[in-house]
Amino acid sequence: MSRAHQLKISVSGIRGVVGGFFTPNLACAFAQAFGTYVGPGRVILGRDTRSSGPMLEHAVTCGLLSAGCEVVKIGVAPTPTVQVFVDETRARGGIAITASHNPSEYNALKLFNAEGLFFNHYERGELLELYHQSAFTQVSNADMPGIRFDTESAPRLHIERVLKHVNVDRIRARRFRVALDGVNGAGSEMSVRFLRDTLNCDLHAISVSPDLPFPREAEPKPEVLGDLRALILREHCDIAFAQDPDGDRLAVGDETGRIIDNDDVLALAVDCVLHRLKGPVVVNLTTSSAIDDIAARHGVRVYRSPVGEANVVDRMKSAGAVIGGEGSNGGIIFPSVQYCRDSYTGMAMLLDRMAETGMTASQLAATLPVYHRRLGKAPFEHGRLGALMQSLEAGFPGAATDRRDGLKLTMEDGWIHVRASNTEPILRIAAEARTSDRLNELYGQAESLL
Amino acid sequence: MNAKIPLRISQFGLRGVVGAGLTPTHVLDFSAAFATMLGQPSKVIIGRDPRASGQMIREGVASALMACGHDVIDLGIVSTPVIQHAIADTDARGGISIGASHMAAEWNALKFFGERGSYLSTAEAGELLDIYHLKGFDFARWDALGSYSRDDSAIDRYIANLAQVFDLPALRRFRVLVDCCNGTSALILSILRDRHGLDLVLINEQTEGRAFAHEPATDQRTVRMQLAPLMRHVGADAGFLFDVDSDRVALATESGEAVSEEMVLVLLADEMLTLGPGDTIIANLSTTALLDEVAASHSGRVVRVPVGRNATADALAGFPPEKIAIAGEGTGAVMMPQFRFVYDGIASMLAILTMMHRRSQSLGSILATYPQYSILKGEVPLESHRIPQMMDDIESRYPDARKNNLDGLRADFDNSWFHVRVSQTAPLVRVIAEQRGQPPTALFDELMDTVRSYNS
Repeated sequence: MSRAHQLKISVSGIRGVVGGFFTPNLACAFAQAFGTYVGPGRVILGRDTRSSGPMLEHAVTCGLLSAGCEVVKIGVAPTPTVQVFVDETRARGGIAITASHNPSEYNALKLFNAEGLFFNHYERGELLELYHQSAFTQVSNADMPGIRFDTESAPRLHIERVLKHVNVDRIRARRFRVALDGVNGAGSEMSVRFLRDTLNCDLHAISVSPDLPFPREAEPKPEVLGDLRALILREHCDIAFAQDPDGDRLAVGDETGRIIDNDDVLALAVDCVLHRLKGPVVVNLTTSSAIDDIAARHGVRVYRSPVGEANVVDRMKSAGAVIGGEGSNGGIIFPSVQYCRDSYTGMAMLLDRMAETGMTASQLAATLPVYHRRLGKAPFEHGRLGALMQSLEAGFPGAATDRRDGLKLTMEDGWIHVRASNTEPILRIAAEARTSDRLNELYGQAESLL
Repeated sequence: MNAKIPLRISQFGLRGVVGAGLTPTHVLDFSAAFATMLGQPSKVIIGRDPRASGQMIREGVASALMACGHDVIDLGIVSTPVIQHAIADTDARGGISIGASHMAAEWNALKFFGERGSYLSTAEAGELLDIYHLKGFDFARWDALGSYSRDDSAIDRYIANLAQVFDLPALRRFRVLVDCCNGTSALILSILRDRHGLDLVLINEQTEGRAFAHEPATDQRTVRMQLAPLMRHVGADAGFLFDVDSDRVALATESGEAVSEEMVLVLLADEMLTLGPGDTIIANLSTTALLDEVAASHSGRVVRVPVGRNATADALAGFPPEKIAIAGEGTGAVMMPQFRFVYDGIASMLAILTMMHRRSQSLGSILATYPQYSILKGEVPLESHRIPQMMDDIESRYPDARKNNLDGLRADFDNSWFHVRVSQTAPLVRVIAEQRGQPPTALFDELMDTVRSYNS
């Protein structure tokens, strides 16, 4: 693996392989930059269950204290829980120590502003500048703040916010049989309490031991959820949920043991919200056209943003969106709870919709328009990107072009989106069409051009 | 050396004013260097004094140790001797004490200990510095990182160790006034008072993080101002004043006399030479010559070493344990043969009370048995690169002295001596002169004038 792959410091923050690359020094210095940027006050600090979490938590705490920030440690907590808690407690900001869906050897810092939102483009640039200049606030002993521990409040406040938007009694009354795969992640214990105790589900959970390593690939893709599918069938579950290690992404399985496509999960959530709240929808450029069809049914507009939670959230705020998200990576963003991807909102919403309609998960999925999708990636050489994009555009004359994030070419019966990943040195290719033949044609043509 | 930046990286480790000099980067790098020096991942014990910056530093120390694969056991706010005992009582490979001892609240520092809680030898201290500067740290793989855990029972175990050596019930007869200077001694002494029935009257007992009731210096001047005036009011048999991490102690007598800080070592040397079996005292070149006289009266001897704990550790390693009567400094930092790895103010206090008990004499009357020595100590800020020239100059002015160049210049005359050296912990030249009888004022003033003349 290249050095570049093992450590990346960019506007997305800092992410890398622990053990020589992502060192405590880097984490501490980044926390100093963050603390200097947000200023003296409370900063919420949570982490996922990776083995490097405790070490990095100490390093980040050191940096924050040194910059004059009081540190509120909430321990192991899902990323959306950290974000809600920042917002609820009017903190200066928050840091989640998590590499999200990346493998166990990685870790990263997710940085949040006072509203509990990802740093936007300008904030990230400014923070990075501070980091590079090492121009940190360094407080003296007289001004040195302290550390507080609060592991109880954040999950409670998060769940309280989620429950305001669903009919809890209706869900509880159904006593749904639910399968859960917590990937032994940050949400493991919280999800069990939420589904079993709060929502009165008959819960069949696997991988909900936060002290154990991830038992599967961290990203909840259909091909790694075999155990969950088996569990659905064995226990005759009504629905199944799988989380990623920091509990922002959600995958859903129906009662037949099929993992519902992530874009369809988002489409269900969008449909669910639009039944109650009419307003604009924001999704990223790679998200399925199914969203446009559903929005059209409800007579609302869809806005597209570049890929990345921060970009989607920015656009949602400016558009006044009632719901949004990122289809390809299983992120539902419901601003009434918090401007962040949140698996808990997704779980509650789907159970509520099932309780409301009396439909099964597969029946709900069947109400969605049918699209065929394919996601892939290609290695990406520095300096070749421009030429690749030009030949791609020339290969699809007549297509509508969108250059906000790589290149998206939209045709009557399908689209192609090619972009450089923010987190890995690869090109991501996405294509969608009404028929699988047309999809293969589009994808194949793009792949050969690249 | 830059006198403007309050940071010192030396053989003695790392110390500085937090924010202005000492930064998280120093803390992380020094801790990672120490973890790398220890080698094979194992257990490392850490603790801190109550300074507010201690939490920040502890987080940095813990992260670096864990990143290098060491399991961290955090004792919380404890004295430095408690950390050393905890290392010795377990299979820990070493430890780090976070605290700036006798320095003002805005300072902080890291002190490093090896196996069995011993001070680093000169060679180890040098290796630590080399690794620190090379920055080639042995970070462990992501799945082999160390853990962090708390242990709040170390003070209890330390007191149990003390209770095995000292007859605590016998010491209940003494009323003792103690100035804790808001430091870690209070955490131990309050237990000796409440659970072991010692008649301790504690002042400045509350541990404080931001400001101490007074400068935490264990010297005669501080005792005279802070402790001595209270002795008669309290009706105390002895008075003790501790620095923040409790490795040093200073004394006041029952009549309210502030005792020279040099006397802690002299008293205990006399006692240990009396009790035997050791006949050798290890003391640095800046420590009182009264020690030689006391040693001679017991047919013992004094081995003089350079200032600093590494040098003392080196010397200790050169003798079989039973040969050593005591080791220490004229600063009130003394280590006794029962705990030969630890400079311990509280153990020193208990040993002095035991001495009073055994001899059935008051502290004042014991002190009255020694001839009078007068010591003068001064320091001159160092901003010049002319130290070697200055030393040559001083040396040439005293052709008749017996000279020792182990650490700066120590010059001995028949009834007096002086020591001029560059401090390793602060950008200063230290000047010490002592005379049997009256203060060597003329000699001292002459030395100070000479040193100052080079500071331009």
